[in-house]
Amino acid sequence: MQEQLKELVKQAETDIQACVTANDLMNAKAQYLGKKSVLNGLFARMKELSPEERPAFGNMINQSRTQIEALLEIRSKQVKEQAWMNNSNASSYDLSMPGIESSRGGFHPLTIVRREIDEVFLSMGFEIAEGPDIDDDFHNFDALNTPADHPSRNLADTFYLENGGLLRTQTSTVQIRTMERYAPPIRIISPGRCYRNDKPDPSHSPVFHQVEALVVDKGISLGDLTDTLQQFASIMFGKKVGSRIRPHFFPFTEPSAEMDISCVVCGGSGCRVCKNSGWLEMGGAGMVDPNVFDILGIDSELYTGFAFGLGIERIAMLKYNIPDMRILFENDLKMLRQFKGELR
Amino acid sequence: MIISLNWLKKYIELGESTAELEKLLTFAGIEVEAVKELPALPKSVISAKVVSAVAVPKTDHLQQCLVDIGEYDYPEKNEAGYVQVICGAPNCHAGMMAIIALPGSELPGYTIGKAKIRGVESHGMLCSEKELGISDNHAGIIELPYETAIGISVNDLYDLPDTIFELEITPNRPDLLGYLGIARDLSAKLSRPLIMPDTKIEDEYFAKQDLALKLVINDTEKCPRYTARLFVDVQTGQSPLWMKTALIKSGLRPISNLVDITNFVMLEYGHPLHAFDYARLRSLPGDTVPAIVVRRAEDNETFTALDGKTYTLDSEDLVIGDGESPSALAGVMGSEQSGINPETCMVVLESAAFHPGSIRRTSYKLKLSTDSSYRFERHLSDHATDAASLRAAKLISELANGKLCPKVHDNWPNPSQPQVLGIRPSRYKQVIGYELNDNAIMDYLKKLGLKFIQYGCWIPGKITDVAKLYCHHAEEMKQGKTEFTELPDCVHTQYYEIPPYRIDLEREIDLIEELARLDGYDKVPVKTIPRQVMDRHAYRIKKVAAEYIVSRGFFETLNYSFSDSALMLKLGYAEKDPKLDMLRLKNPQSSNQSAMRTSLVPQLLQNLVYNLNHGEKNIKLFELGKTYHKAEGLSYEPYHLAAALCGRIQNEHWQHKAAMINASYPKGVVEELLDLLGLREYTCQPASEPFLQTAESSQYLFQGKQLAYYGKLRADIAQTFGIDTLELKQDIWILEMHLEDIIEATRHLQRVFNELSRFPSVVRDISFLIADSIGWQDIHQEILSLNPDLICELSPFDEYRGKQVPSGYRSLSLHLKIQDKEKTLTDERVDQLVELVIKTLQDKWQITMR
Ligand SMILES: [Zn+2]
Repeated sequence: MQEQLKELVKQAETDIQACVTANDLMNAKAQYLGKKSVLNGLFARMKELSPEERPAFGNMINQSRTQIEALLEIRSKQVKEQAWMNNSNASSYDLSMPGIESSRGGFHPLTIVRREIDEVFLSMGFEIAEGPDIDDDFHNFDALNTPADHPSRNLADTFYLENGGLLRTQTSTVQIRTMERYAPPIRIISPGRCYRNDKPDPSHSPVFHQVEALVVDKGISLGDLTDTLQQFASIMFGKKVGSRIRPHFFPFTEPSAEMDISCVVCGGSGCRVCKNSGWLEMGGAGMVDPNVFDILGIDSELYTGFAFGLGIERIAMLKYNIPDMRILFENDLKMLRQFKGELR
Repeated sequence: MIISLNWLKKYIELGESTAELEKLLTFAGIEVEAVKELPALPKSVISAKVVSAVAVPKTDHLQQCLVDIGEYDYPEKNEAGYVQVICGAPNCHAGMMAIIALPGSELPGYTIGKAKIRGVESHGMLCSEKELGISDNHAGIIELPYETAIGISVNDLYDLPDTIFELEITPNRPDLLGYLGIARDLSAKLSRPLIMPDTKIEDEYFAKQDLALKLVINDTEKCPRYTARLFVDVQTGQSPLWMKTALIKSGLRPISNLVDITNFVMLEYGHPLHAFDYARLRSLPGDTVPAIVVRRAEDNETFTALDGKTYTLDSEDLVIGDGESPSALAGVMGSEQSGINPETCMVVLESAAFHPGSIRRTSYKLKLSTDSSYRFERHLSDHATDAASLRAAKLISELANGKLCPKVHDNWPNPSQPQVLGIRPSRYKQVIGYELNDNAIMDYLKKLGLKFIQYGCWIPGKITDVAKLYCHHAEEMKQGKTEFTELPDCVHTQYYEIPPYRIDLEREIDLIEELARLDGYDKVPVKTIPRQVMDRHAYRIKKVAAEYIVSRGFFETLNYSFSDSALMLKLGYAEKDPKLDMLRLKNPQSSNQSAMRTSLVPQLLQNLVYNLNHGEKNIKLFELGKTYHKAEGLSYEPYHLAAALCGRIQNEHWQHKAAMINASYPKGVVEELLDLLGLREYTCQPASEPFLQTAESSQYLFQGKQLAYYGKLRADIAQTFGIDTLELKQDIWILEMHLEDIIEATRHLQRVFNELSRFPSVVRDISFLIADSIGWQDIHQEILSLNPDLICELSPFDEYRGKQVPSGYRSLSLHLKIQDKEKTLTDERVDQLVELVIKTLQDKWQITMR
């Protein structure tokens, strides 16, 4: 019987060594340790032995069992390691073939610029205010201190609606509406669509987008305007970009200014984009005219404020070097795809 | 710091309720960690004399006591007029004065009744401190002083009712580790006078002669001052009950009158004291005068403290020794050997100042923290020793009959210089945000114990020479002027001498903090009125919607806001449709831009055509923008998100062939987006848009309003836009979300977390044939309604039509996920549920299982 057991373990060793897959090992385990295995059979035959012989014999069987288990474990580890090895070496892929992408879409460049501006001003503590595209003479002209005979009120410049409304020519209308509703301090930007009766050409569009900023509080000065402008320019175009204001005229600001940033193309040395001036026009600005405050019932002695407007199309065209404004409204996928991933 | 309100009231008048006091303390910067009310106890809880105490047979600790309750009216006294009580306390003995709670007394937590214990009647209970609620002590019953009269209410004995505050004192305020400090803060806060304790010692309590003492300080840096007062004829014994009560309520155990006095004064003044037995002080070698030597320990010198443990010291530890060996670990703990004992009749009272760092080091190194070290390591002023010493002297004379020796040994070589600080009222306004006038500032600071010196000009930096503070303000003050004119180079400033116990006041800003704290942080103005100019919710919804649709492969387009009615007619809208009632321009640039758009769809279709004509095949475009409608006022301009798509679901890939877009795709986009935005309660029905094929379209309604739709563009409509879908061999799909309405519908939605089930879920799959006429929506609802608590998920994973499936039928396969939130599911319950599902479907729709 002892001989038989030795033989069995030896045979098991050979068979287990021959296993190459996890499945082989499972079969070997069933064969040598399972219910119908020889070992199990021997256990059943213990009854045939005298009570004195049984413990020794039982021990022998158990030893054999432990040996076989150890063999299985060792081989199983080897088989697994071999499988890992094979797996990491086997590559029938041509890795230069395209991978699987998610086919993500993208935002329109004007949205990208608008959202960037939103984020810059939100981080500076501004709030975003919106208002209607269709507004009235009061909010678009009167409240902004624009005289009744001002040329911008012409049909040639402004779209009027049959119901008496007009399409706002700037988002300053939202500033007026905000000041009507809320007492200072006010710190808002108002992004949105504006309309002017211009024929589409490389630098004009009857529909365009603006962001205007308005700050009203005690002790606001022109210095706060230049500061905000510089902060904005640095975040939007980079730290090296400079800014300046120069005198100009707008009916609703006093003093008024035109804002420039140093040319983002040539860095100020002069190029085609900046028409060799080294500066790029960003938009109009100024200190809110006390008349505007008076119209809205805000104490113009106590409060001062500044406002400025930025053209989103202009910034997008500068930033991405887009030569013609009309391209922005063609919605050609070849254009749109270029801006995939600009805004996440 | 645990304080009793009744004790605190000895130093300041307080009529406030507990809640008010809690608020007062909190806003004075003293955090209240816990409040415990000690209620008044019933009249039937009184002092009583245990006349006899006899062990109850066959018990190991119970005693049968007869208690004298004097005149107190109790109906079940025995013939001798006593009350019989069973008591299990080990310290219960005949002759003691105790407190009895007679039957019917309501004590905190329970009511005392008449009971029979081991066959013996017990009329009430002899009480421990814990049973009365005044402390956690339950080691034995209360033992009142022998001289206590019988029948006195426990409320009089223990000063009840009372309120106990547990205060969190910040490390910078050691002065608040005493009742007086807290009272002083409240006095400043409430503008009420601070009542100082009595320290006047009657003439009869002065000793005729002095005791000789040699006081030596070897390290004046670690011990800048040592004040010793000596007493003769001291009678040691128990403290009076009022003092015991005070200590117990503040969390200390009474020990003996002298120790209790030092502890009491520590709690009162925040300055720890120590008492030595003069008779045990030995002299220095070669001398005969008993000595106290403040010195650094020798390296490896050992010291056995009061706690019975022996500590090994080093030369950084400071000890108070006599002429031979250490009597105390300075500022931390005394020793048994030198301490007060029943035989003590001559006492040395120590009141000293120690270097906080040194005490902290020793306490940390030896892991020995005491009430004393806790205070010293927070820095106690050298100026504070005498007041506490004097107060203790007063109490020793009164309570222990001690006679104070005239000579005070006060070794104080280098008194610390009082700090002088200036405060500019203008600076207060600048930092805190509102004005506090000159008088208010002075009021508060004086109440805190600061001594006003004079007005002056602002001098930055440390004030070293008070004489230099002189300026024209002082002159004006002398002339009785109260208004100040500020000279150009002079900022109006008040100068103060800081009291020694406020070691935390070092700079002007510290004074500003004190003032803000006392005047109330709640007075600090909010600069801007809170309001929301920005509609953050709308902003977020638009952002989430746009970002989601981009992630699904759509590119954003932007189109002019112009349109015209002809374009809407092309889309199939009827002449009378409100969408054709457009806002018209007076001066349009062209006829096809003569009105404001009422839909985003036509321009999107034009964009799609444009791109098809430019060779694109798989197109997904969207626009997020306003439409414009006639409305009261001038217009209504809601935001919409619309999309047009055709071609394949994804870009083509060499390994994975992307399917053509069918209804599943726009449906998935719409439903996932609604889900992302938080909208889950909607109903679905075929869309009514004229340009969609009704059979392959769906709209989503919320409270009767359309929020979204999707569908296949009718081929004839496509044709009017120049798209031949037959030639193209693909369909055009449109979807739209009414963002403006979605913004309103979701404005107040609140996401709520659902408790996770910790029990495993089981997934069962079922497959069956069902008539095509029965929609998934109905099947889903039917199955879910069978047991919504158990069925947590139901999703189709296969649909099949064709071979082996009769026409008009489909084969559906579902995952049924089952989970119980309360317990693990048994196979049996799962089987039952699955059978119920199958049976229900069979009965209702005659399904055939596969
Ligand atoms: Zn340039």
